[in-house]
Amino acid sequence: MTQETETSDDQSTIDVNQRSQLQQFWKQYRKNKLSLAGGVLVVLLLITALFAPVIAPHSPYTQFDVPEDEQYHPLPPGSEITLTDRNGEVVKQSTAYFGTDNVGRDILSRALFGMRLTLMIGLSVIMFAMVIGAVAGGIAGYYYETWIDDSIMRFMDMLFPFPSLILAVALLGVVGIGETTYELAVVGEVVVPNVAKIVLVITIVYIPRFARVMRGAVLKEIEEDYVDAAKSIGASDSHILLRDISMNTIPPVIIQATLYIGTAVLISAGLSFLGLGIQPPEPSLGVMLAGARNYIHSGEWWFAAFPGLGIFLIILAFNLLGDGLRDALDPRYQGEQ
Amino acid sequence: MTTHMLKYLAKRLLLSIPTFIGVSIIIFMMVHLAPGGPVDVILGSQIATEEMVEQIRAEFNLDQPLYIQYIDWATSAIQGDLGESLTVTGGTQVSTLIMGRLPVTIELAIFSLLLAITIGIPAGIISAVYQDQIADHAMRITALTGISIPNFWLGIMLIVLFAVQLQQPWAAGGWVPLSDGIVDNLLHILFPIIALGTAISALIARMMRSEMLDTLNQDYIRTARAMGIGKWEIILKDAAKNAFIPVLTVIGFAIGGLMNGAVLTETVFSLPGIGTLLILAIDRRDYRVIQGIILFISFIFVFANIFVDVLYAYLDPRITSSRGDS
Repeated sequence: MTQETETSDDQSTIDVNQRSQLQQFWKQYRKNKLSLAGGVLVVLLLITALFAPVIAPHSPYTQFDVPEDEQYHPLPPGSEITLTDRNGEVVKQSTAYFGTDNVGRDILSRALFGMRLTLMIGLSVIMFAMVIGAVAGGIAGYYYETWIDDSIMRFMDMLFPFPSLILAVALLGVVGIGETTYELAVVGEVVVPNVAKIVLVITIVYIPRFARVMRGAVLKEIEEDYVDAAKSIGASDSHILLRDISMNTIPPVIIQATLYIGTAVLISAGLSFLGLGIQPPEPSLGVMLAGARNYIHSGEWWFAAFPGLGIFLIILAFNLLGDGLRDALDPRYQGEQ
Repeated sequence: MTTHMLKYLAKRLLLSIPTFIGVSIIIFMMVHLAPGGPVDVILGSQIATEEMVEQIRAEFNLDQPLYIQYIDWATSAIQGDLGESLTVTGGTQVSTLIMGRLPVTIELAIFSLLLAITIGIPAGIISAVYQDQIADHAMRITALTGISIPNFWLGIMLIVLFAVQLQQPWAAGGWVPLSDGIVDNLLHILFPIIALGTAISALIARMMRSEMLDTLNQDYIRTARAMGIGKWEIILKDAAKNAFIPVLTVIGFAIGGLMNGAVLTETVFSLPGIGTLLILAIDRRDYRVIQGIILFISFIFVFANIFVDVLYAYLDPRITSSRGDS
């Protein structure tokens, strides 16, 4: 009985603490206008991504008519575009505000769907890597300098000596590019889509990074008095790790996650640009840039400009947000960066 | 270098051995874990006859247990023998291929890093000295933009602007060897350097700024100023020197970024470097070249980081005790 009351007492003080901490955090965060702008931009991008099918004027696959001589030519921004069916009748008429690509697809529509796909990949990568990495790093940190810590971190260290994009390329070499069907004894045929492979590969790149951040954060926490206090009243390891320590280590991990989204997006776009990620004709920003490469020397700038701008905006938004979150949470960084 | 430093260096080198064993196992297993296994990977998209499969199994010792295959492969790799290329250029030693492409990548990487340091360090210092003034705000926004611009997009837009709109042929990419004239060589690599160096210079500027702010607030700097020593003299002679040391670690990280970026930048500007060789090898499924390049890159990456750490420890001796013993 006594122990129960003690725990609930403890809980209420934590709640009060958390609330005031949160208020303080919000106060700090609000002061930074750039970071506020980043937050707004992130929300706008997420809404755009979510409603891309509604916002986009056309399907990302529809090929409008393009002038044709020896090769197809992209239409510049503001061009009138028409869609003619086999009988030569005009089915659709519209304006391509951002121009078209070489086979007459609307750049704006493709870029919107591309941002949706890029954001989806970036967010899922960071979510998976954060959960797996934080659990592994949290356990390693809590059992600091035992065999558990050693084996987890040595395994993570094996993935560190590779530059991130190079590691992703190497891992893609293992899983192969494109959709693969695996024959499994129990479940039968399993089709693994290309997107899942890309998410898997980049997730593996980020797991060790999150494990290190989380381990460091846990190491800092277990030195605190409250852990000893919890142990002395007989709280179990898992209780301490899940309830008390995780409460305090989540903020630094979330901040790191926000900053990593930018780099994860860069890797996924880079892979697609190199022809190793999303495959055409899927509307991905990297794929669009790769297609545009053949046209930059003839002056069709819009083909490359808008998809790249999309990648840039996503990365900028999350960097602004992440910087602001870090400044607000860690006063030591106040005004720095 | 003191004996203490040599000990630290030896320790770091010794500790890199298990790292390399791990790295080489991962790279070796790439081929064996790939769908279809090594025979499929080696044959690529060719339609294989029974005989071809048998021949490959024999030639690559695939009938041996896995650990023997690994030891064979690793022993040759240590001696610099990465095998012969299969499809990129049939029969050429992979190491010869890599060495042939190396000068381009090295020139690109070194100049990019130099550019990044030359811009990043002064920008960081100015930003810190004029904290919260216009110059500082401008630098911070520029740096954030620089970090967020994908280098391959920046490269493409530079080509569009300079090669197409302004009709400058040297901006279009391609490679001119040093032997064909130093001016042409440098002109052609200028934009790849800018594309690759921008993000890193922004990272360095941000780090330099925050380290400078820390240093400028320290007692000895305040004392020096109180003693009437000129502002810029202190900033440049004492503060900047101390602030630069931690920035070295960022440069260590930047080496990874340089290698990632080199693959993309070389592709954009059609430079015949290691990065484009890797992409070519993946395209042709030449797994020996792929393995060789990835092994080579991780080797450089690990040693570059050891070099930076040791240099760091040399400049700031406190670090050997805290870092080296963990």
